[in-house]
Amino acid sequence: MLLNKNIIFYFLLFFLSVGYFVVAINLGAPVVNNGLQPSAFPLLIGLFAMMFSSILLYREIKLIKSKGSCLAVDSEINETASIKDRLAPFAIMLSIFLYILLFSPLGYFLSSLLFVLSIIIIFSSVDKVIQKIIISTVIVAFGYLVFEQMFNVRLPALWG
Amino acid sequence: MEFINLVLNSFSLLLSPQILIYVVAGFLIGTIFASIPGLTATLALALLLPLTYSLDVSTALMACSSIYMAGMCGGSITATTINIPGAPSSMMTALDGYPMQLQGKGPLALGHAAFGSMVGGALGAILLIALAPFVAEVALLVKTTGKFSLLAFAIIVIVIAQRGKVVKAGMAACIGLMLATVGLDAMEPMTRFTFGSSELTAGLDLMPMIIGTFAISEILIQAKSNGCAEKMVDALKKIKICRRDFIPPLSEIRKVGLMCYLKSSFIGYAVGTLPGAGGSMGSFLAYAETVRTSDEPETFGKGNPKGIVASESANNAVCGGALVPMLTFGIPGDPVTAIMLGVLVINGIQPGPQLMSGQAELIAPMLASLVFSALILIPLTLYLLGPYFIKIVAIRKDILYGIISLLAVVGSYVATFSTFQMMMSLVMGILAYYLRKHDFPVITLLLGFILGPNLEEFLRRSLSLSNGNPMTFFTNYDSLFFVILTLVFVYFLAIKKPMKKPY
Repeated sequence: MLLNKNIIFYFLLFFLSVGYFVVAINLGAPVVNNGLQPSAFPLLIGLFAMMFSSILLYREIKLIKSKGSCLAVDSEINETASIKDRLAPFAIMLSIFLYILLFSPLGYFLSSLLFVLSIIIIFSSVDKVIQKIIISTVIVAFGYLVFEQMFNVRLPALWG
Repeated sequence: MEFINLVLNSFSLLLSPQILIYVVAGFLIGTIFASIPGLTATLALALLLPLTYSLDVSTALMACSSIYMAGMCGGSITATTINIPGAPSSMMTALDGYPMQLQGKGPLALGHAAFGSMVGGALGAILLIALAPFVAEVALLVKTTGKFSLLAFAIIVIVIAQRGKVVKAGMAACIGLMLATVGLDAMEPMTRFTFGSSELTAGLDLMPMIIGTFAISEILIQAKSNGCAEKMVDALKKIKICRRDFIPPLSEIRKVGLMCYLKSSFIGYAVGTLPGAGGSMGSFLAYAETVRTSDEPETFGKGNPKGIVASESANNAVCGGALVPMLTFGIPGDPVTAIMLGVLVINGIQPGPQLMSGQAELIAPMLASLVFSALILIPLTLYLLGPYFIKIVAIRKDILYGIISLLAVVGSYVATFSTFQMMMSLVMGILAYYLRKHDFPVITLLLGFILGPNLEEFLRRSLSLSNGNPMTFFTNYDSLFFVILTLVFVYFLAIKKPMKKPY
């Protein structure tokens, strides 16, 4: 699983590098009248990125080949990491994404309350929800004090 | 001498209650973050970066420097008491600190760590104040081609300093450089890699980059490691610390010897001046040197106070050293100085050789704060609040990360009052999370992003001035100097066999 994930990640990096390089080519000629053009530096970076990502990819493929089947490694890793631990980062990513979407429409207080509560639950469990709502309210009020009162940052409100 | 006077006069700023509150608060926040394993002073700075918008630059930099100093000494508390370094720079402290704790000499270990931090921090800051103006004057001699070679040197050294993962460091630096090319070209009216998005025309903002890379990615990583927190809290409940534990007896300081403090501080300072080295390398090298020159090397790792002193003096002296390239050349040496550079950039100040000569009055208070933090705040904070840090470390992780998440995401809104920047923070956080998960050093990504625009500009200007002749980098003495320096570093860091670990 981990080895496969490594390969996927390195492939993504390689495609990112190739994509960047192709876009850089489309920016125009790198040198005109002995002067470097806007495409020159990105082309150079793209080349280096392709080189580094190819090396990583090559090493990983070589590692898998030398270890034979990666299935044995898969099962070992699966045993050590619980489902909750594996899903927690994705749950946080989703929480932050939804928070950003709701930040302006719902205003600071309501969106932040939901966000902080979700983070607290992800880092602990769903029990004692009332206590966690109270803690979240205190944290959101603390955030309001820090940003709006101490540092004069205007935060969005539900009423506009 | 003029600059030293300016720094001395800047101490009077600390008499202003408002400034003093920011400096002390910065120090406390830095110590708390450094003493909690998993949190670092870098994260504290990343979270507080948006708040610097409402402060004047000098005050913001003073608070930053106190966080930096605190970040280096705070980690020693848990390193000594429960063998879990609060910050990576305290790793070597745990080697001798924890055995002393097991032998019932925990208070003495804490005292040595506190005193070593104070001496190292103060010496590093004094060396910075004394030497930085000279380095800045030399830096003024570096012209366009030399500036390109210097920036290339910094990036190459940071990459090859990541031993065992140089290719990954190179890839991360390339990603940072790629991100730096997004937006309007610096020399011609042409947009690059914006894909039609008007919000990307001005390029990517530094704020979401820092918050995403250091704060959001950290939250994502910590979400996966919940288990060890409970064990740590259990271990902490058994520890009892008193205020006087942080004051080592004079006889014990004499036993360690003045040379150990001085030598370790100088090593830390010198290591700090190198891009990418940081507190961990400083304390490692000072520790290795102390073991090498000791009459009884076999006692190290079993509770020798000299090991604690070497590690803590060096990592605090790194603070002074790391600010030398940042202030004189605009090259950050580690994540903290990269964020401090961000404070300057956000406030429209161009870091580089001109900064020390033209705007020294902005920098001097920061250095005064660094000395103040080392000499006054380290002993005072550890003496007054040291016993309570153990309780702070045991704070519930869910509440802690609830607060951090809120500060991180709302903080990225502060820069432009747009949810686009918040989204950019999330994107950068996810990218940094996956990079860190696959053992890529994200510091090279950030430095690539910060140094990228200047690197490109100086490359194009140099070649434009030489009519496209790349030999210009070898025929100009300032450039040639940095080319040779790069080769020397490549030899010592990448080709020559690495130094054996002392333990």
